Amino acid sequence: MRVTAAVGLVALAIGMLAHGAGAAPNTSCPAAWAHGWQSLADKVGAPVYCPTWMPNPLDARIGGQYQDIYSIGKDRSYLVSFLEHGDLGSGDVHVNFRGYPGRKLIPHCPAPVGHGTLPCFSDPVGRMSANGIRATVYQVNQGADQWHVLLAWHYRGGLYTVSQHVINPYDSATRVRQNLQRLLKSLVLVQPAR
Amino acid sequence: MRLTRRRFIGGAAAAAVAGGGIYELVDRLGSSPARPAVEPAGMPPEQHLLDLTTTHSEGVEVIVPPLHHAIVTAKLDVGDLRAAQTKLEDVLRDIDSTYPLTPAGLGVTVAWGIPYFDKYVPAQAKAHLPHDRRAQKQVLLPTRRFPSDPSTTILETNDLVVLLRSDRIEHIEAARKEIFGLPFLTVTSIRRGFAGGGFDGGRSLPKKMALAAGVPGADLIPDSAELFLGFTSTQKAGLGPGTIANHETLGYVDLRSGYFRNGTHMHLSHISEDLEAWYLNFDFAERVLTAFRPGMTDVRDGTQTVAQGPPQVSPESDLVRQFHKTGRFGHSASIQATSRLQQDTIGVDGTHYAKGTAIPQRADFNTLDNPFAFSIDPARDGVRKEPSAGVHFVVFNPSGDDFERNRLAMDGVLPGGTKLSVPPRNRAAGFNSVLTTTHRQNFLVPPRRHRSFPLAEL
Repeated sequence: MRVTAAVGLVALAIGMLAHGAGAAPNTSCPAAWAHGWQSLADKVGAPVYCPTWMPNPLDARIGGQYQDIYSIGKDRSYLVSFLEHGDLGSGDVHVNFRGYPGRKLIPHCPAPVGHGTLPCFSDPVGRMSANGIRATVYQVNQGADQWHVLLAWHYRGGLYTVSQHVINPYDSATRVRQNLQRLLKSLVLVQPAR
Repeated sequence: MRLTRRRFIGGAAAAAVAGGGIYELVDRLGSSPARPAVEPAGMPPEQHLLDLTTTHSEGVEVIVPPLHHAIVTAKLDVGDLRAAQTKLEDVLRDIDSTYPLTPAGLGVTVAWGIPYFDKYVPAQAKAHLPHDRRAQKQVLLPTRRFPSDPSTTILETNDLVVLLRSDRIEHIEAARKEIFGLPFLTVTSIRRGFAGGGFDGGRSLPKKMALAAGVPGADLIPDSAELFLGFTSTQKAGLGPGTIANHETLGYVDLRSGYFRNGTHMHLSHISEDLEAWYLNFDFAERVLTAFRPGMTDVRDGTQTVAQGPPQVSPESDLVRQFHKTGRFGHSASIQATSRLQQDTIGVDGTHYAKGTAIPQRADFNTLDNPFAFSIDPARDGVRKEPSAGVHFVVFNPSGDDFERNRLAMDGVLPGGTKLSVPPRNRAAGFNSVLTTTHRQNFLVPPRRHRSFPLAEL
């Protein structure tokens, strides 16, 4: 499900989010996945983050067997989702990558109760640093990131996130945070070609 | 999202769990709160009262609950009712003489269900059971489901229940064995749990126990939370004081012959708690407005103990107005419409109770039972070995109707007929979307002098 970013923005987000470091990561997107992420960067006209590691059994090949959602909004924001839906109760492994080029503030999502909106990412519970990125950990998230733990950070005026669902087999927030730490460490920037 | 046995016993707690059950961890993970050494001069006529100390948490006076709790339900197989009455009373008096009536000793509460009164003392019950004059109903009502209960909620039919409370688990176990060693009692369930710790700023017992058991969401519980859901629930001002929950105190009940003076009504239920849903879908601000009321914006992020005194009581008109404005209502605010005195009241003993004073006396505690530690019919009760976060909810009210008013208000059904229209178990209705009630039963708590087979001697 694509989260539609509402017009309202959260002023506090500037204060809450940590900024990515200026230095670019020094590894590259895996060859088998690179085409899809390069294509995404070109389409949104902004840098995107390609993971070089994914929680088992996922890979991050856009267009591959685990890709679930691939959505680019009119505002150039994107959501790329990878999902393994286990049969017979073996659980799900679900990782989302988002980018909001040119946007620093957290978007708003429809409120679960009533007619208002609320921040798509909320309940910051800490910080996580790796790979030159200092991210904020959000525990309560909406839309496709509901029931996920999410990391959010800024890079060159844009907002980026990665999140994972807390569900069997990664069935605690602690385990998911361990995966997210590893994911954060694995991210490499892919610059648009034009 | 099921836990595996391997994971359950795989943690640091494995040895303790394998040795004697998860609840032995309470002794290893918790320490007894400081209690006054003074023993009460005599036992009060009420069985449900236990003198508890208070402390302060985040500037709010809170009652320190006993660390350990056990509830045992039973059915009877009695031929000679009077002989059984004598034997049970002898055992209870022996326990009374062994342990002081304090958390350091033991609190014992014996209560009786409708099946007992119907089967064993129907004529006496007809003549002596108290009558709720406000509701025009019996004080002890048949157990029912409420709008947010699933159809699977089991309405139990136990003859009696015994509530045991102490800081010392060995006191509870010794008393349990003594009482339920009586040959005419068949245990139908054993329910265990714990509460407290954390008021000194250290890691609380519920947090430690949940982590040790590996229940989903355990890592999300705030470290010093009194209960799994993260908020303190034993604010002194939020619990009924003294004898306010006695049948007779507020004048709601016609005692008729007076046999049950100093008695009360007890509701018992087991409620499963979805901790992951609570902590991953509700941010702190929404947890506050869900637990308390919408519009409560002055609660500092991370607060666990929120004042619940008369100044914080929401009148029903505010509740309705907030609901129309926000489309939701909070747990506390909805219940306060019925659980708090709506005006200053003088009790039958002359005690002055200020407007906003709480009436119910809760004795609920967290559990890892799924849903019971033991059941005589595990298939019917849905017993599973994997631990699960929940609460054994125990509350004393002057009457069954008084309890029902509170419980209905929790579902948005207010006593004046107003209905805050929200689908059952909707996120807009307080805690309801993360709670599932599995079992319920109503009981009558006789005064201490009639706690053993009430009415049997008549």
